[in-house]
Amino acid sequence: MPSTLEKIRILGSNSKYDICASTASSRTNKYPELFGKSKNWIGATTSAGICHSYTPDGRCMSLFKTLFTNKCIYSCKYCFSQSCKQKLSFTPEEYARIFMKLYSMNVVEGVFITSGVCGSADDTTEEMLEAVRLLRFKYKFQGYIHFKCLPGLSQHLLKEAISLSDRISVNSEASTASFLSEIAEQKDFKNDIITRQRWLKQIRIKHNEDVLKELKDKKKEYELKYQEKMIKEYNQNGYKKFRWDGAPILNGGQTTQFVIGAAEGETDLDLLNRIDWQYKAVDMRRAYFSAFIPLEGTPLAKRNAPPLEREHRLYQSDWLLRIYHYKLKDLKDILTEEGNLPHGDPKIHFARQYFKNHSPIDPNEASYQELLRVPGIGPISAKRIINLQKQNYRFQRRIQLKSVGVVLKRADPFLKIDGQNQMTLQNFLNDDKNILFQEGIQ
Amino acid sequence: MNCNNNYKDPMEVLGRSKGHSYEELIENLPRHYEFNPTLLQQIKNIPEAILRNHGSSIAKKINRMVKEVFKEAYRAEQFTRTEINNKSVLYGVVLLKHKVIDIVLKYFHKRWPNCVICLYNEYNQKTGIINEEGIIQEVKEPLQKVIDRLSKNRSISPYFEDIEFSNEEIFEALYQSQNITERENLRFFNSMIPKNCYKLPGMRKGVEKKYNNKNRKLDDFIK
Repeated sequence: MPSTLEKIRILGSNSKYDICASTASSRTNKYPELFGKSKNWIGATTSAGICHSYTPDGRCMSLFKTLFTNKCIYSCKYCFSQSCKQKLSFTPEEYARIFMKLYSMNVVEGVFITSGVCGSADDTTEEMLEAVRLLRFKYKFQGYIHFKCLPGLSQHLLKEAISLSDRISVNSEASTASFLSEIAEQKDFKNDIITRQRWLKQIRIKHNEDVLKELKDKKKEYELKYQEKMIKEYNQNGYKKFRWDGAPILNGGQTTQFVIGAAEGETDLDLLNRIDWQYKAVDMRRAYFSAFIPLEGTPLAKRNAPPLEREHRLYQSDWLLRIYHYKLKDLKDILTEEGNLPHGDPKIHFARQYFKNHSPIDPNEASYQELLRVPGIGPISAKRIINLQKQNYRFQRRIQLKSVGVVLKRADPFLKIDGQNQMTLQNFLNDDKNILFQEGIQ
Repeated sequence: MNCNNNYKDPMEVLGRSKGHSYEELIENLPRHYEFNPTLLQQIKNIPEAILRNHGSSIAKKINRMVKEVFKEAYRAEQFTRTEINNKSVLYGVVLLKHKVIDIVLKYFHKRWPNCVICLYNEYNQKTGIINEEGIIQEVKEPLQKVIDRLSKNRSISPYFEDIEFSNEEIFEALYQSQNITERENLRFFNSMIPKNCYKLPGMRKGVEKKYNNKNRKLDDFIK
């Protein structure tokens, strides 16, 4: 009989390739009675989370992240559990207690519960849910829970998982059905993944609307106003403002994860197309990318690992879509012929492309969207500039931009202040005024 | 609000537009161990724009001091390792130079509102206590004595007595299981846990220490 320690070691290492953020929910204070009335609640959620430790690869370790079981009916070619010969499972009680022990030690902030599929998705999820129920109702844990939706899960269990969790993720693994069948042939892309993502969106919206009605009945004016404001913003802006922070349940929304470079021929364009669709259609909060690592004992052991830089570029592009609200077609312009992102920061590539046909922008006149096209200007500094424009403040020197948070060394070539633009080397060489210099070269 | 050459440009002192408000500074500056009451007088004489944006040497100093205060509190929240006994007393050891024990106690109180929390501060050798009602007190007594005194009249609520492994064993098992060796990045790791953090009581014997470059032996590099 393996000890609990042995289980943590093995099931923890089986789940280490799953990616998650630290706590991404700020629900506790707004809804203190979400899981029932009790004075004995334990735990808290903070929106940014606290990282209590970091592993030598630099990733923060803020959640108790292990598989519930590594027994699995699927044989995904990239998966670690393929090569793991020792098959183990936690019992729900064991899982809940060991987490509470870790929480009392102040080494974790919350739970990330995931699993292999043992028997059927419903059987395994039932066990996982039992562990979550124990946490919520026996141990009175009110903190952050990230629940992994297994492929093929029934709707009634998904509903329960939603009502108990802060965030749920359905792993897409690949961008299209054909790429998924290449690396995990037993999984049905449309049914196991897309349908579950759609359900998550529908159930969450339905639940939140019901809560609204309840709030109206109970005449809780403050909460009601907050909710209505959020829904209005959501309806007006579509996926651009998909954050629904006031949501009573599933406050952290749904996320997904892709394995980068496992399926041969899958390009960055395929992945960007998929995440763009997910942001628009299924109310995705964010996507995670995990560069494929060939593991001994798996069918893909001899496949080359993609460079980690690819993962980084995808995160940068995802950020441009999600936070900067770039259009996907903007990003398509900078892709290489093979459909991959080029080396270097995608935003700088995009700016170089864009400013070939456009003159440098004047921060005193530019709109918010134009400002965001300039490398070195992010949403916060763009908002500050727009606020200053409204106050009729005029930037007359570069240093003034630095004081609102603009990174000048990146932004300079694309800006024009008081009619003057920093000269790039290329422009300098092409400039007719520098005849002497050009003669000197010749 | 157009600027001309005679007008002192307010943007020049905006810095990165970060910083703290007057209220925050006045509330938190006295927490610093080098705090001098004359500093509060000086704050009142500095315009907020300059203060907020590190616009003068004194403003820089004040902001540095407040940053040190918050940083110490945050590090304590991150790296303090606690234990809980069967009388619902949660306890641990901290090393706090500044007067931030109340911030740290409140953080633990939010997580464990039904426990009495005791944190022994090695710096001033005092034990900070927060009870279930959120009332804070500091006593000049060793931690064990305080725990025994507080546990005396409390009912037994066995939390994790049946778990046979020590805290360190459990955490080490989890920590080592999460490390992806193919992605090892010690430079980043060291920037996330700077060497000063290993001086904190919770980290002195931490498993993280083994991975710090300076604690590695020659054999580890050759391997």
